[in-house]
Amino acid sequence: MTVASLHAHGIDAPLPGGFEGRIFVRGAVGREVPYPVAHFATFPLPADTADFGGGAVNLMGPNDIFAVLFEYGPESLGRALFARQGMPRSLAAGDFRPYLLRRGLGGQSGTQWFFTEAGRPFTVYVVLGSHARRNALVPRVNGLLGSVSISPPAVPSPMPQTASGPGWN
Amino acid sequence: MVALAVVLTLVVLLMAVLVAGLLRSHADILRSLHELGVGVGDPAAPHDHAAAGAPGAAGSKQVPITMGPPLPGERNSTAAPTVAGVTPDGNALAVSVDGGDRLTLLAFLSSGCATCSGFWKAFRQPDRLGLPADTRLVVVTKGPDMEIPSEVAGQAPPGLPVVMSTEAWGDYEVPGSPFFVLVDGRSGLRIGEGVANHFDQVAELVRRAEADARPFGVGSRSRALAEGLDGPERESANDRELRRAGVLPGDPSLYPNSLDEVYGRSGDDGLPTPARRAG
Repeated sequence: MTVASLHAHGIDAPLPGGFEGRIFVRGAVGREVPYPVAHFATFPLPADTADFGGGAVNLMGPNDIFAVLFEYGPESLGRALFARQGMPRSLAAGDFRPYLLRRGLGGQSGTQWFFTEAGRPFTVYVVLGSHARRNALVPRVNGLLGSVSISPPAVPSPMPQTASGPGWN
Repeated sequence: MVALAVVLTLVVLLMAVLVAGLLRSHADILRSLHELGVGVGDPAAPHDHAAAGAPGAAGSKQVPITMGPPLPGERNSTAAPTVAGVTPDGNALAVSVDGGDRLTLLAFLSSGCATCSGFWKAFRQPDRLGLPADTRLVVVTKGPDMEIPSEVAGQAPPGLPVVMSTEAWGDYEVPGSPFFVLVDGRSGLRIGEGVANHFDQVAELVRRAEADARPFGVGSRSRALAEGLDGPERESANDRELRRAGVLPGDPSLYPNSLDEVYGRSGDDGLPTPARRAG
């Protein structure tokens, strides 16, 4: 028996025990250009989970973890928001705050980081089912993040000429 | 006349040669069957080939012969690894089957098998499947190396996780499609598996397994069990409880004919409903 692993869209994620996940690109709506999104969870992910966990985080138990790896378009490269090089792979319990949640649910806490890796701009957003149990849950988060690898885009994106402030995403 | 006698003699000789050839061929087949361990007659009877296959005999070694994945009755593996693969539209998907209180029903289907088409169709109406409420249904087909993704996509019901993974078929030792595996999330083990022609049969087996796998709810826990009694004391205590409730020896409720009689049934649409526990 082998460790379950997800590979798609230039993201490779061996899954620690108890995690499931998906890596997908949504269908484009209008002129939108969708980019890959990866969901990881220690509970059954609903099929219609929104990009940042809507429809899923409300199902979390106190020992559950939900994580999103969300890629932005190449126009975000070079912006200050994505200045950090490389995904954070060793988070601390103190990085998680209840008010950092995109959808504030009692007892939960979250953290979010923007970064560039392999020439691709990303954000990673992690939700813990219980802020009180963050010391036990964060090592599991790090076990997941530490195993994820990101490949360069198939067609390298040109770096933008100017690096203005962070834009809307 | 002489010519006729000569022709008849030749025909008889020819027939004799043919019969001798057939007998020799038959003997060769029997000998081969004995070597494979499935011969007719007395396999223990001494013969040259058995001696040749005995330990220490040079140039010959008896090995077990297997054809395809072992059948369910021949296996003892209950491990239930995460099912990981791709979706018909090219994304990646991994479904964890352990953890939590839920059951996971893995439906190993093919896009082309005739029996599977009924299941694909049934899965388009998940509310009418009759599975227990905490059961998650996941369809697993072979990977893109063995299945055509567009054909799987054409069959896949919206909203239902469909994982294309040849590796999962190997992990779960699936002998063919359709095949169903039921995993208990709490133990992380397979608690049932098998084939079926209709989903009603599968749902009935899942309800049965769910009833067997789950402990009694707090409301229905017998007092004897709660008090830690065991053996004859527990049996006597249960008998007293039953008598107090008016259930005497021979009462028909002690001999249900189906799970519906145990857990009740919502009869409006005639479809089976998830098993319900008393209390």
